[in-house]
Amino acid sequence: MTATMKLKLNLGPQHPSTHGVLRLILELEGEKILSCEPDIGYLHRGMEKMAEKMSYIQYLPTVDRIDYLAGCFYSELLCRIVEQAFEVELPDKVRAIRVMLLELNRISSHLLWVGAFLMDLGAISPYFYAFREREMILRYFEKLTGQRMMYNYFVFGGVRKDIAYLEDVEEIISVLPDKINDYEKIITENPIFLKRTSGKGVLELDTAVNHAITGVNLRASGLNYDLRNIDYLYKGFDFGAVVLDGKDCWARYKARIMEMRESVNIIHQALEYLKSAPALEQKLINPLNLKLPEGDYYAEIEAPRGLASCFVRSLGDDRPYRLKWRTGSYYSVNLLRKLLVGEYLNDAIAIAGSLDIILPEVDK
Amino acid sequence: MIKEFKALWEGLWTVFKHLFKRPVTLEYPEKRRVLNDAFRGKPSVDGCVGCGICKRVCPSGAIEYRKNDEGKVYFYKFDLKKCIFCGNCAYYCPKGAIKLTKEYELASSDKNDLNLIYKGGTDD
Repeated sequence: MTATMKLKLNLGPQHPSTHGVLRLILELEGEKILSCEPDIGYLHRGMEKMAEKMSYIQYLPTVDRIDYLAGCFYSELLCRIVEQAFEVELPDKVRAIRVMLLELNRISSHLLWVGAFLMDLGAISPYFYAFREREMILRYFEKLTGQRMMYNYFVFGGVRKDIAYLEDVEEIISVLPDKINDYEKIITENPIFLKRTSGKGVLELDTAVNHAITGVNLRASGLNYDLRNIDYLYKGFDFGAVVLDGKDCWARYKARIMEMRESVNIIHQALEYLKSAPALEQKLINPLNLKLPEGDYYAEIEAPRGLASCFVRSLGDDRPYRLKWRTGSYYSVNLLRKLLVGEYLNDAIAIAGSLDIILPEVDK
Repeated sequence: MIKEFKALWEGLWTVFKHLFKRPVTLEYPEKRRVLNDAFRGKPSVDGCVGCGICKRVCPSGAIEYRKNDEGKVYFYKFDLKKCIFCGNCAYYCPKGAIKLTKEYELASSDKNDLNLIYKGGTDD
């Protein structure tokens, strides 16, 4: 074998550390990656085309499945589109409920990421610890909404029913900071973890911006771009920005850990409000015969994996003429083409894992 | 070097402490979690008046019903092969006739078992 021989390697689609069914076609020279070609579409369900055949209320339960780890965010987007069209202003209590559930959902999504990322790197214990805490959140969701991951709790103009079991949330946020400290003790300064992540997969700010990277990945590259700061839903909530300048895998890990702490902080504020809030009063939009007035609608939100947005063009029908989702992971997958070149194969797993890619969101 | 050793020790100690904690898993199927009333499992119908709202809000087309000449529902079917347990039908039912039960073990070797048919639109 000559030294210049190239090898084509399929990473995935069934590889356990590709989080779903991502197939990366890598061109290798030795262990060095010369090029990377992501092949997506294994989980394509036609979410956008489906919308054109269904009424808005029929479509609402299915959007939870776009990103099954953070379903609330996509329900929220579709609800926002309809609320925008009918100019419904959400009462403070509905806003607080939604913020609390969104942030709980964000934490559960980040927890799964922490576990899965460490599993990719060969550490098994944190996986179980992260899932243990995630389970608490999922159980709360199950108690409240009826299911663990497909909540279908937000409806046009409000929420399905009044919030309940606040003591469970209180327990979750009282336990979480300690548990996050535990993860940090195991992971953050661990020399093996540091060797595998620090300085690996450096994402320069201009590359990130040019590749439309948003969310934690962008903030770990040093740009404070968080939609929650300008979101009307989060108005009145006080939280700090999580911005790191490390640009590498370790910074992205640390940023997610820090963001979980910030989310706990936000939930705390929402909880304080909800405890003394009056009974739920909301102006729901009747979903039967719901026809969106003719026009274009756009809504966006800061999802766990970056900016998520929804665009709807309506011709005044009971279903959209065209509906488009923008999801953060799609751009992260595309970034792998650039980020993996010149790295070694064993770092590829760490780098791809650190971007928090989730495939149903990519393929839609 | 000392810093690295300290970090490793701290991590291992945290993991070691978990040895003395109770297990967090349940030995399913011997032990089961207590489910809340809100749980969205197998649907059931009792007292349908045939307004058709459930059929209109169902995202997967899992509901089918037939009315006789007097407008009475004599056949109501949930197709569990299609149902995604979103709960729209139960939430929008004006009579509260549709309920989602706590039953979640729905695997069957006969696909006809997965058609829940209610004669007369009631449970019997």
